[in-house]
Amino acid sequence: MNNSAAIEVLGLKKSFGENHAVQGVSFNVNQGEIFSLLGPNGAGKTTTISMLSCLLRPNDGDANIMGHSISTDPMGVKSVLGVVPQDLALYEDLTARENLSFWGKMYGLRGSTLKTRVDEVLNVIGLRDRANERVGKYSGGMKRRVNIGVALLHKPKVIYMDEPTVGIDPQSRRNILDSVVLLKNEGMTVLYTTHYMEEAQELSDHIGIMDHGKLIAHGTHDELVKMVGQQTRIDLTLNGNADQVMAAWKETEGVSRVTSDEGLISVLVQDSNLTLPHLFEAATKHSARITSVNISEPNLEAVFLHLTGRALRD
Amino acid sequence: MKAFDIALKDMTRSFRSTFAVIFMFGVPLLVTGMFYFMFGNITDEGGFTLPKTQVVIANLDEGGPKFQVNPKNIPGGKEADSMGDLIVSILQSEDMADLIEITLVPSAETARTAVDNQESQVAIIIPTDFSHQFADVDGKAVIEFYQDPTLTLGPAIMRSILNRFMDGMSGVKIAVNFFVDEAEPEQLFLTGQVVDQYLEVSLAENDDPEVELLDVRNPVDGQKNDAAENQNLLLSIIGPIMGGMMVFYAYYTGTSTAQSILKEEEERTLPRLFTTPTSQATILTGKFLSVFMTVSVQIIVLLIAAHLIFGIEWGGFASVALMAIGIIVSASSFGVFVNSFLKDTKQGGVLFGGILTVTGMMGMIKIFAMNSAIANKMGDTISLLVPQGWAIRGLMQAMGGESFNNVALTVLVSFLWSAAFFAIGVWRFNRRYT
Ligand SMILES: Nc1ncnc2c1ncn2[C@@H]1O[C@H](COP(=O)(O)OP(=O)(O)O)[C@@H](O)[C@H]1O
Ligand SMILES: [Mg+2]
Repeated sequence: MNNSAAIEVLGLKKSFGENHAVQGVSFNVNQGEIFSLLGPNGAGKTTTISMLSCLLRPNDGDANIMGHSISTDPMGVKSVLGVVPQDLALYEDLTARENLSFWGKMYGLRGSTLKTRVDEVLNVIGLRDRANERVGKYSGGMKRRVNIGVALLHKPKVIYMDEPTVGIDPQSRRNILDSVVLLKNEGMTVLYTTHYMEEAQELSDHIGIMDHGKLIAHGTHDELVKMVGQQTRIDLTLNGNADQVMAAWKETEGVSRVTSDEGLISVLVQDSNLTLPHLFEAATKHSARITSVNISEPNLEAVFLHLTGRALRD
Repeated sequence: MKAFDIALKDMTRSFRSTFAVIFMFGVPLLVTGMFYFMFGNITDEGGFTLPKTQVVIANLDEGGPKFQVNPKNIPGGKEADSMGDLIVSILQSEDMADLIEITLVPSAETARTAVDNQESQVAIIIPTDFSHQFADVDGKAVIEFYQDPTLTLGPAIMRSILNRFMDGMSGVKIAVNFFVDEAEPEQLFLTGQVVDQYLEVSLAENDDPEVELLDVRNPVDGQKNDAAENQNLLLSIIGPIMGGMMVFYAYYTGTSTAQSILKEEEERTLPRLFTTPTSQATILTGKFLSVFMTVSVQIIVLLIAAHLIFGIEWGGFASVALMAIGIIVSASSFGVFVNSFLKDTKQGGVLFGGILTVTGMMGMIKIFAMNSAIANKMGDTISLLVPQGWAIRGLMQAMGGESFNNVALTVLVSFLWSAAFFAIGVWRFNRRYT
């Protein structure tokens, strides 16, 4: 076993009848890093998380969480694990404090330790002031935060967060993304699933891209982008002499392709910082003005498109 | 310990739900309270008694064809030699003493004055030719009923008793008329025997509520104190009603609390529980414990509340304790059992409403059929086909002061039901989540 791997996934498979939801997924997550599983709805992210939390028994394969096998030592797995389920799993008729207190007990906390931890977590999720209100009265974002708080009580070594930002306001979303980084800084290993490319890009040390039950690529953000050889695209508009300018741009160093579509010119470059000044010079030389510029860095959206031929968000 | 935490959490949730609390405590007490006010009223001391009606009777009947009625057929047991005497002795009988207090006066005028002066609530005047009219085919035997118009309950009870009596007597009248027509004059003394025979048959078959009501009254301690007897009469009516309500709603609570397993599955908190380092056995034990504890609180509160509010005596402490445990265990295991067959709470709404109502009614049939001996026998058999029936049987036995052993035997049967229900329920739930 790899000593630095907090999560080791070994060929997990799960089918629901004819639906092969997860088809042999393997990856490692190092201790103290954030690993994102990125994929559209139905990719098999939740099914994978469920197997890794010992809720679903895999048809095949195994996984070790901090060295505990999900098939032979589920109690060991559960004791090092905090799970933030995709669906809110809270008692709406109990207050936030009562919820945290109850779940803390389920994680084996008692007495003053429990009380202290509940207060600490209430601070982390920013709900200390409203801790004694029933969860049912909370907004969607506040519920999400309690949902996360429950998984933090026992200071787990590993935490799973299954699409924790779905359907909430931008402010709660920011709060949650920030707290994920805080968890990492405290040394927790985070397995994060999302279908938002930006989240995966912002948070992750490593990203696994899932589609149709398979992990189709994984690595760092840069590795993934390089792997598919994507370049930065610069979209520009000109106020005249387009043909001459485009011809000049094609000859410019660092430019690999120039295309135009109804007045919008797209230039593919290796590095926009180096090449962009040359594009302006060439335009000036031909007495044309650049009236707009838009730079698109290579991103996971493009990677996903490249790998599957489909957009990430349908 | 964790199982206990789960149970406490569930109880907090249950008792926080207004809906659940109303059905747990409110409805059974309210229904019983309704019957309470139907059958009794509050005295100044705060206790409840049936009102005793003051009745003044002027029996002017001069008799008709000579007859003698066998005293054993008259509730009071006195001999009577006119129809008027017969009525008076029935009204004066011990069984009626709970309901009415009789004063005999010599004239119709005195009787009416007693009512006018509010010394009595009802005056009954039996005319001089009452027996004659009674024996005459075309005769009209009429009793004058004179009441204080401002009163309702007392005179109504009185009127109802009298009506029942007269209804019964119209059968006698036909028999007597027939006999008088057919008989030779020297055989007329036999009229008494005809009335006698008729009374023997008709009183034995009589299942009218008033008569049964009196039969049901069964003073536990044999006291002959008036107030105590009224109290006993009232309690003999509402005790079983409260008991039936309690059993019915204990089963309701058992079923709806056990349904929290399905509810938690839908709320996703059950799967989340399974991601904590808590074994499935502990989680399910916690859920079952919560059912048991919630029903326990309900039963204990209801037993005490019914005693304090209505003065219901549930029986000896050991019997009541055992009977209560029997109800709690069987209601809880029934809940676990029924829910283990449901897919989700949506199914539960329709299904367990029906199951609970049908089995609950079957179990309580005895209480509703109290007024009729035949229905009572059948009700006994039917009710024992469902666990509620055994719970109610234990309850009635404890209330009726039967021996601890008898109660224990019934509760033992309850436990057997429970063991079977619980075993099946646990097995099914365990399999469901493995
Ligand atoms: N309990 C289940 N029973 C049957 N099919 C399921 C179940 N859970 C998930 N699936 C199916 O498995 C596939 C993967 O689902 P899921 O893991 O939830 O995807 P994601 O979380 O990436 O959106 C989907 O086709 C889904 O319909
Ligand atoms: Mg999902």
